[in-house]
Amino acid sequence: MQLIVLAISLVAMALIAFTFLSAARAATLPAVVPRTDPEARRRRVILGLAALGVIVTLLSLRPWPHTIPGTAAVVNVSGGQFYWEIDTDTVPLGEPVAFHAHTVDVTHGFGVMDPAGTILFQTQAMPGYVNQVSHTFETPGTYRVVCLEYCGIAHHDMLNEFTVAAR
Amino acid sequence: MTTMTDVTTVEHGPQTGAVKLTMLIAGAVFLLMMIFGLAMRAAQGALVEIEPGLFYQLMTVHGAGMVGTAGLSGATILWYFTGRHVPLIAGVFHAFLALFLLGVVLILGAIFLGGYAGAWTFLYPLPAFSAGQWEAGAAVTFLLGYTSIGVGFLLLHLEVMRKLIAAYGGIGGAMAWPVAFGRGDPKDAPPPGVVAAMASSIFNTIGIVIGAAVLVASIVNLAFPGFAVDALLAKNMIFFFGHVFINAAIYMAVIAVYEIVPDYTGKPWKCSRAFALSWTVVLFFVMAVYPHHLLQDVAMPGWALAMGQIVSYFSGIPLIAVTAFSLLVYLRGANGMRWDLATGLLVLGVAGWTAGSAPAILDGMIVVNKVMHNTQWVPGHFHTYLILGEVAMAFGFMAWLTRREGETLRGPVATVFWAYVLGGAGFVLMFLVSGALSVPRRWAVHLPEWHLQAQIATAFAALVVLAVTAFVLRYVARLGRG
Ligand code: HEM
Ligand SMILES: [Cu+2]
Ligand SMILES: [Cu+2]
Repeated sequence: MQLIVLAISLVAMALIAFTFLSAARAATLPAVVPRTDPEARRRRVILGLAALGVIVTLLSLRPWPHTIPGTAAVVNVSGGQFYWEIDTDTVPLGEPVAFHAHTVDVTHGFGVMDPAGTILFQTQAMPGYVNQVSHTFETPGTYRVVCLEYCGIAHHDMLNEFTVAAR
Repeated sequence: MTTMTDVTTVEHGPQTGAVKLTMLIAGAVFLLMMIFGLAMRAAQGALVEIEPGLFYQLMTVHGAGMVGTAGLSGATILWYFTGRHVPLIAGVFHAFLALFLLGVVLILGAIFLGGYAGAWTFLYPLPAFSAGQWEAGAAVTFLLGYTSIGVGFLLLHLEVMRKLIAAYGGIGGAMAWPVAFGRGDPKDAPPPGVVAAMASSIFNTIGIVIGAAVLVASIVNLAFPGFAVDALLAKNMIFFFGHVFINAAIYMAVIAVYEIVPDYTGKPWKCSRAFALSWTVVLFFVMAVYPHHLLQDVAMPGWALAMGQIVSYFSGIPLIAVTAFSLLVYLRGANGMRWDLATGLLVLGVAGWTAGSAPAILDGMIVVNKVMHNTQWVPGHFHTYLILGEVAMAFGFMAWLTRREGETLRGPVATVFWAYVLGGAGFVLMFLVSGALSVPRRWAVHLPEWHLQAQIATAFAALVVLAVTAFVLRYVARLGRG
């Protein structure tokens, strides 16, 4: 997911840079009468972007990304300055797991990295709330828990881990 | 009523002296904060060693200092060009500047004397939970610094809105609603800079009022820990304020593009129907989009998160299809335009702002946000539209204030310009790459496998610092020679 997002961004940014550079060059040359009416082109850009927006919205919001399956196994995690407490050290493989994120002091960010170090999901652990996030682990191994909300001077040291294994 | 022709015929706005001084302060603070940023990135690459406590103090001062200075430079641009169209009370600007500087002193004291390192976002209840790094008094001092700056901005915006409302026949007149909604003739519309000044003053005022409320709540909480606030409500208010404030800085700075670029292309920037409509849309979108900062707060109502994602995408349309598109049309229509440092930086500002919207919109999608939120992707996209956007516009405005007739973008000044572009682009791309590789943001210490990325970024950052040093020195030298 992350690398696809990076690729899309780089292409879009390169396209924008190229458009500006070529207009900047054209500005120094004698004026040319545009082949098509700029206002007609502007309308096409707006309609095109709007249509793309509707499609992307529908595809990315259905199903609702924060849905928690009713059958998920529950794991409680609790953050505090500066540690993560997890109520189990082994999490089941191949079935949905719902993490319930608590905090004892400030807001922390409960984030999980796979064995290769790629972030899989996160949610906020916020005073007064128990936020839930669910995930189905596909590969066994050791997963790292990190903090993804700045919580004070040892924020980067709030590390823990758990094992994913078949029941 | 001011008409279009004033835009190009009036040469000097009022209070040029105060404006030049303020931009000098802004340029110098940008440079200093960039040096702090360079130190942080070097520490992440293990090139220098900085204690985590000090790193987070630097992060706090860099965040607050940069956002504040972006606001300062944007508001100064707004004030200068609004002064071309309506008379403004000079004392208001002096009070604004004085309150700003008082705020800076309080913030610096809180961080470097008091040890405050709760980040520029003062996320409730972090200021009250320092784990021994700072006392409650330091946090209160920091928040009072914000309050002082906020009051200054309120004064400035109220004066601007009051005068624009009087001169253009109400809020709707200044926002060009007759043109936007059909009946009016674009020839009678206010200049584009006025529409932008009105819209950004309205939303920045609302943002600052909400910000003041959460500041007061946080200060009371520090004084009386028994007084608790709902953490989710406080977070909503903080991000509403933070989002609106930093966006207002960019929307105010773009006034310089509307007012200066036409002098070079020879075509006045028109307040067309698309332009007028887009600013009304922006007025509402800027305020409605802030939940894109809370996409991982599942306690938020689903509709608010969906709105955050959708408005985040559609906010790109007025930027791309109106401001960027019109600029491109004006450039292509120009006849043998002369580039100088001012126009180079102003156009770069719009290009960088537009480019930065791509990674920003992607991060504003819930599915993407789940894996990229609070990674370095986030500083990646906002440094794009700040370094290559707002800050480029601010230095462009400074170059224009000290321009010489007939100068072109050649020789050493061109080298500095392209060093800034290259350094800035390389630096922000490295943040985006690190974010895509799951490197968290706001970590004082990075894992060894991430060091190389931070080291490359440090080299690009050094290039930016060198270029900005040259921009500031050139500005100072020219101010000195008058
Ligand atoms: C040479 C130029 C710059 C360098 C080297 C630099 C460096 C950095 C670094 C290393 C961080 C922390 C990244 C992390 O979270 O891991 C950061 C954060 C930040 N920077 Fe910059 N920066 C530069 C320019 C700017 C500019 C021009 C602005 C705004 C006008 C800005 C605004 C911010 C903000 C708001 C943060 C977030 C602070 C926080 O997370 O609390 N920076 N910068
Ligand atoms: Cu943390
Ligand atoms: Cu935002």
